Amino acid sequence: MRRNIPLVAAAASLALVLAACGSDSGGGTNEGSDEPFRVVALGGIGAQGVLADNAATSVLSIQAGAAYVNANGGILGREVVVEVIDDKADPTVAVTKLREYMAQHKPDLVVNSGPSTVANATLPILNEEGILSFNIGPTADSANPSKLPLNFDLSAGPRDYLRGFVTYLKSENITSVGILHGSSAYGETFGATFAEGLPKEGITVTAKEVYDVAALDMTPQIEAVRATNPQALILDAYGAPLGYILRNIDKIGWDVPIVANNSVAATGIISTPEPDGLLGTPFVKNVVMEVYKSTKYDPNATAVNEAVARMKAIGEIKATLILAYNYDALLLVKAAAEKVGTTDAAALAKALEDPAVQEAANTVIISRYGFTATDHSPNVSGEEFTFVRPSPIKDGQYS
Amino acid sequence: MTLVLGALAVGAIYAIVAIGYNIVFISSKTFNFAQAQLMMVGAFVAYSGLVSWNLPWVVVLLIAGAIVAVVAGLEERIAVRPVRDPHNILVTTLGVSILLDGAAQLIWGTQPLTVPFVAGDRAINVLGGRAYPVELALIGLACLLVALIVLFTRRTKYGMALLAIAEDREAAQLRGINVRALAFAAFVASGLLAGFVGLFVGPATFAVSTLGASLALKGFVALAIGGFGSFPGALVGGIVVGLVEVGAARYLGGDFVHLMIFALLLLVLMLRPAGLFARAKERMV
Repeated sequence: MRRNIPLVAAAASLALVLAACGSDSGGGTNEGSDEPFRVVALGGIGAQGVLADNAATSVLSIQAGAAYVNANGGILGREVVVEVIDDKADPTVAVTKLREYMAQHKPDLVVNSGPSTVANATLPILNEEGILSFNIGPTADSANPSKLPLNFDLSAGPRDYLRGFVTYLKSENITSVGILHGSSAYGETFGATFAEGLPKEGITVTAKEVYDVAALDMTPQIEAVRATNPQALILDAYGAPLGYILRNIDKIGWDVPIVANNSVAATGIISTPEPDGLLGTPFVKNVVMEVYKSTKYDPNATAVNEAVARMKAIGEIKATLILAYNYDALLLVKAAAEKVGTTDAAALAKALEDPAVQEAANTVIISRYGFTATDHSPNVSGEEFTFVRPSPIKDGQYS
Repeated sequence: MTLVLGALAVGAIYAIVAIGYNIVFISSKTFNFAQAQLMMVGAFVAYSGLVSWNLPWVVVLLIAGAIVAVVAGLEERIAVRPVRDPHNILVTTLGVSILLDGAAQLIWGTQPLTVPFVAGDRAINVLGGRAYPVELALIGLACLLVALIVLFTRRTKYGMALLAIAEDREAAQLRGINVRALAFAAFVASGLLAGFVGLFVGPATFAVSTLGASLALKGFVALAIGGFGSFPGALVGGIVVGLVEVGAARYLGGDFVHLMIFALLLLVLMLRPAGLFARAKERMV
């Protein structure tokens, strides 16, 4: 027996080494174990301006999604645990805190709450570490599987929104529009996409003007658009600039239909009654805004209403449900894991490209994602959108 | 004319920020980078007073002035006076600006809030153009402020003492001027001004926690164009920035706004390095 002691010790050591290697390999390889399914939610909760409310809603949505998945057996039996990291919407803070967390635990999934600067900084790291991620701050490469095969963009992009706009404009017999957009990265992309896409659908773009998002007066740009006499104004605006624009339009007495994007819908003053906001004033009388169907309250939308109830049970919904994409993240992962029988990141990513998995996920905020093997953007159909007039927001939804 | 009136109103806001910078600059030869944030606090206090507490306009004016004056006084005591090197004051006042941004966000939230104006919020016809009453009030206020401050500095003992400090701090001290007390008073006065004008700026810009950051840079450019230490220069600098901003946006496009403003700044600084209205001083080397 004594002669066997070194052999037993060597075998035990080998077993320990193998066990250690096993626990550290690949993102999410703990399936069937008692290990929780670890989700890191990055969010600029301590950021400035409306970003903070958006981040809080985004984080709330992933927590509610986790509650739903856990109540329905977890992910292959593993309990979902959400770790919230306040990145203050600062890429440096996000990278530092993410690395600190990853030194302790390897997450199975990372979701962010935007902005795209944070995504730009964190997605390459997650890809290198083999960690599955969902992103709501699209970047140039975030939906490109050849660059970031483990990342999926949840937020619809300008191409998706364009489909909804085209449907609406045609239904209103609007054949010419002027475009006014902000100088933010998103605003520029929005403007370029619409200026290129609308003429292909037979809608003339008479003017495309950009405004500085830090400016206080947008009258010059509005005057420039009005001079081209469009039937409607396509508007991208967010925060205080939206208020300036609506006042400027009123000031020059331009009575034009304003067809606004979801950034407008996500700005509080549009849905806040006077005197605090602009709701109920003449400034908003011509405005309609594109939102997801889930962002408009519908008593018959059971799944959406249950999601709202789950979010409310955790905390106040400070922004609109437009920011609640992350609720769908874990539903997608659960469906993918059940398809492939593993929580390995690469296998899950492959499964998420499968239309059958996307359908089986029964997602709520967007009812159907359209990831493909060559494009990890959500490819949302025009049917997902509706246009609403400004109204009070209750629990993240327009009434 | 609508565009010109809008440009003058925006320029007036930049000028008011620049006037606040100047009040501190002539007394302590440094910049209070939190000046625009003080104005932001004034706008928020105006919102609370007029909307949340439903107080009369005059009462809110006094409350806003008092609160922001106290904040400015605290800033001087905590972030300026203990700092020996004037260059470091740039950093400490910048820190105060960040602190005020965060505090405003915590107290009033992150969404823009509407501040009503005493003369209403319906556009009116003026000189063949359209303008909101608050825009006209801002133009008048900026001119009035400059006139009052120029009168104060030329006709009063304390005003002349401030000019003496601006001219030569040590010589002023030797003549018995309490430089420290006047520097503190200048900070408080700049806060008082920021509080008062919050009732005019807030209705035009909304009360929003990003307002300070939006105004700080353009206010500084207005100051640099007009000349550091010159109040009429601050007014002209602000108006010029407003006109260039609006003109570039209308006739060149939104992408050219910053380009034209900084091209103008460069041109002014190349031709008159001290700004349009400040006198260049000879110095021994």
